[in-house]
Amino acid sequence: CTIRAFSWHPHTSKFAVALLDDSIRVYNSTSATIPSLKHRLQRNVAAMAWKPLCASILAVACQTCVLVWHLDPTSLSTRPSSGCAQVLSHPGHSPVTTLAWAPSGDRLLSASPMDTAMLVWDVSTENCVQLQWFGGGGVTFLSWSPDGSKVLAATPSAVFRVWEAQMWTCERWPTIKGRCQTGCWSPDGSRLLFSVLGEALIFSLSFSEYRGELQGQVGGSKRASIVADLSETSFETPYGEERIGGEVHSMVWDPTGERLAVIIRAVFRTRNSPIFELLPCGFLRGEEGAQPQLIAFHPSFKKGALLTV
Amino acid sequence: MEEGAGRQRSLLRQVLGWRVAAAVVWSVLLLPLCTAAFVVLSGLDPFHPLRWISNSFNDLRTSYVIFCILLMSVVILVISIFNVEFYAVVPSIPCSRLALIGKIMHPQQVIHSVVHAVMGMLVAWCAAVMTKGKFQFLAVPCTPSESLEAAVPHPQMCLNEYHLFFLLSGAFMGYSYSLLYLINNMNYLPFPIIQQYKYLRFRRALPLLIKHSCVESLYFVRNFCVTYYFFGYIPKVWISTTMDLHIDSKLHPLDTLAGLLDLPLFYHSWLCGVFLLITWYIAWLLFKIYATEAHHFPIQPTFAEETDQCLPKILNSNPPLIIKFLALQDLMLLSQYSPVRRQEVFSLSQPGGHPHNWTAISRECLSLLSDLTQRLMAQQEAAAANGRAKQPAGELKVSPQTPGAVGTEDMSFQSQRSNVIPRASMSSLVKPSLMPLKASPGSDVGSPFSSPALNSKTGILDSISPWRGSVQSPHIRRRGPKLWTSGSDLQINGSHHESFPVLTAARAGSEAVQPNFIYTWLQNKQEQIKTFLSKRVLIMYFFSKHPEASIQAVFSDAQMHIWALEGLSHLVAASFTEDQFGVVQTTLPAILNTLLTLQEVVDRYFKLPHVSSKPPRISGSLVDTSYKTLRFALRASLKTAIYRITTVFGEHLNAVQVSTEHKKRLQQFLEYKE
Repeated sequence: CTIRAFSWHPHTSKFAVALLDDSIRVYNSTSATIPSLKHRLQRNVAAMAWKPLCASILAVACQTCVLVWHLDPTSLSTRPSSGCAQVLSHPGHSPVTTLAWAPSGDRLLSASPMDTAMLVWDVSTENCVQLQWFGGGGVTFLSWSPDGSKVLAATPSAVFRVWEAQMWTCERWPTIKGRCQTGCWSPDGSRLLFSVLGEALIFSLSFSEYRGELQGQVGGSKRASIVADLSETSFETPYGEERIGGEVHSMVWDPTGERLAVIIRAVFRTRNSPIFELLPCGFLRGEEGAQPQLIAFHPSFKKGALLTV
Repeated sequence: MEEGAGRQRSLLRQVLGWRVAAAVVWSVLLLPLCTAAFVVLSGLDPFHPLRWISNSFNDLRTSYVIFCILLMSVVILVISIFNVEFYAVVPSIPCSRLALIGKIMHPQQVIHSVVHAVMGMLVAWCAAVMTKGKFQFLAVPCTPSESLEAAVPHPQMCLNEYHLFFLLSGAFMGYSYSLLYLINNMNYLPFPIIQQYKYLRFRRALPLLIKHSCVESLYFVRNFCVTYYFFGYIPKVWISTTMDLHIDSKLHPLDTLAGLLDLPLFYHSWLCGVFLLITWYIAWLLFKIYATEAHHFPIQPTFAEETDQCLPKILNSNPPLIIKFLALQDLMLLSQYSPVRRQEVFSLSQPGGHPHNWTAISRECLSLLSDLTQRLMAQQEAAAANGRAKQPAGELKVSPQTPGAVGTEDMSFQSQRSNVIPRASMSSLVKPSLMPLKASPGSDVGSPFSSPALNSKTGILDSISPWRGSVQSPHIRRRGPKLWTSGSDLQINGSHHESFPVLTAARAGSEAVQPNFIYTWLQNKQEQIKTFLSKRVLIMYFFSKHPEASIQAVFSDAQMHIWALEGLSHLVAASFTEDQFGVVQTTLPAILNTLLTLQEVVDRYFKLPHVSSKPPRISGSLVDTSYKTLRFALRASLKTAIYRITTVFGEHLNAVQVSTEHKKRLQQFLEYKE
């Protein structure tokens, strides 16, 4: 069955998979039991995220609310009760399609394409603060930079916003052609790579070094530069000539900063300092007919990078 | 002493002074806007819109509207003064109904209510004057009668009951505002969960404020109508006799149903209420926003005058509570967002090379956390000793695991857990021999009364118990299980273990008892009276402690501890890469010990009844109830803080000197099994 969402635990070898039947399974490399999470409000799961700096708290973006599962990491039960789930709901905030935890683990951001406000939740007290803007629709994609300083919020229109996470002010970035499809941050939060619907390019936006004195400013550079052109090119491979290229569906940057994986089955090797360069290092060949939908790097793999497709 | 108090006052004035002034200035500046809206809405005439708009704009320029605005500014100033005098960063939560009544009857609160009632009357007078029409004057000429005989050269002056109604409704609304202010703990200043610019915070809260005022005004008008219906004749008669006015017999008196069912009257009173509430709530909101804004405390003083204001000094002295809150909030923010200030914290003093800043900060945070640990342990003991029925199974299950075997590693680990129980059950062992207490099952009946008695008893036992323990004395603790564990086993399992420990316990108990025979007889009588009274429902209605309120009261200042935890853990995590002199490493064992002990105590506390149930959340209300769920935030941030340290340090933590049981727990955290 196809998967709706996938999420690696940030510190251990554990991942959660959301299936089409609205149940979530948690697979753990150290344990044989596979807990299956079900709740009556857990419908149309769009995204999941494990809480950083925690053993097992999973936030799930559902149709009408955000469910936060508090699982017992040592329990052997295969059906945790619905009592373990905390329901975070706010009137008008549905369907929730995207979530992001702060890397310091204390705040959860949730957003919906139908709501022109992002919610910043304090999960333990169930208090939320609305960050509102006018016009431009809701939010389709959220990504918090790994150093905790900035948040990318892409909207359905040709505009995306980058918020800074100290005083919560934002910068608007209008794109020329289409909406921002996906984006990912470098591990130190200084660079944002994003792609736009309708163009087979990867753009890069750099932000000034965060010194802590730039209160209230995002500090982004004035223009985004193009770093990779992914239009169709042909490559000589042992299997014959191949044409590969096209639009970027989703991107992830691995936690060591060395590799960027882009779904069109191309893997680039990156080196972020001193000069930023993007060199294609290899292609992953999938099976015939298999469509890659989601990719994620294992966040704490010690021996390099483990990519899950 | 004098100097200290004077310094504190000047510090308070320095930090809080401009905030209060700015809040008052802005609320006064927003007043003309509210007044204009009021004048426009009070002249509501949907059938002649153009005339309505032009009349309203003409009215806005008249002198009496300007005079009313000035009068309202004075009112806002007085209200703001009361906001400043009554604010509290730690809410006072009444635990029983009697405490709530006591709070209402307190002289300070009475002054608050009286002044607010008078201010309400002033606002209503302004509103009546601006509404014009039949509300404008208190005394109007009486309607002339038709018969010619009654024609007099000077018409008599009659009481305008509409005006009186307005004034009294204003006073009533002022009084109700004050009462709700007290009951809803609106003097509590909640600190925001994210930092935002003040303008954005105000703009975000404004629609909710307007909606809340409209709804509340409806309730107030309804209540006032009911009150006026029953008691309206009293002020009417009093005013007419004092001011020598006649009561107009031609018009309907307002304290009848026919008089009150008057839509324009209702509308204008409601609008007056909305005007009053909006202006007062705006003043309150602006004060809240300004007072809880983050303040930047310098770490290293650059000038000599600033030494009193620097962060380590403020934390270590005993500043007014709001300054301490602001300092801890600043610590939390600098530890997360400011590498420059972090460097100042980790720096060494010149000359001498002592890490004064770090020592001061870490010492204060650790003492705050140990304080909380002690408080929670005391609460648990009180709860466990308050009658058998209150002992939750969660605590008891630990003691049967402690067998007679002593001296093993597990024993010392369990000794921490069983420490609290043997002490409590020791006292409950002694209790039956001293007095016949009828434990009422399943209620808080005995709680407000038996705890002082019991605490005094444990006081006696404390002096003879070998382990009058503080948290930081592991050696004394390890001796505990040998004697008391078997005593507790006797208590719980009901089986007969070695008679020796029991005899010792009983002997120890009796030694304490004998010299205080009169005392125990008095205690006996006291308990009997209390048991008798506890059967009276009415007494219990007032005296019984609400469990949820008592729990909230324990954690009412937990915001300080949350910030201390976050600040400390972020600094420790940052020190892994940023600390050049290794100042943090020497304090790491103490920090880990405190955090792990606190975590254990909090986990145990959450097993008590009522603690882990969340109070229902009311979203979309102006009243802030975040103090009710502070304990959950504390538990979550405590866990996150420990994980932050273990994630950053990883396996290096195994080299840190901590006690064996703590090492085990650290291992659990390193493996993400907690």
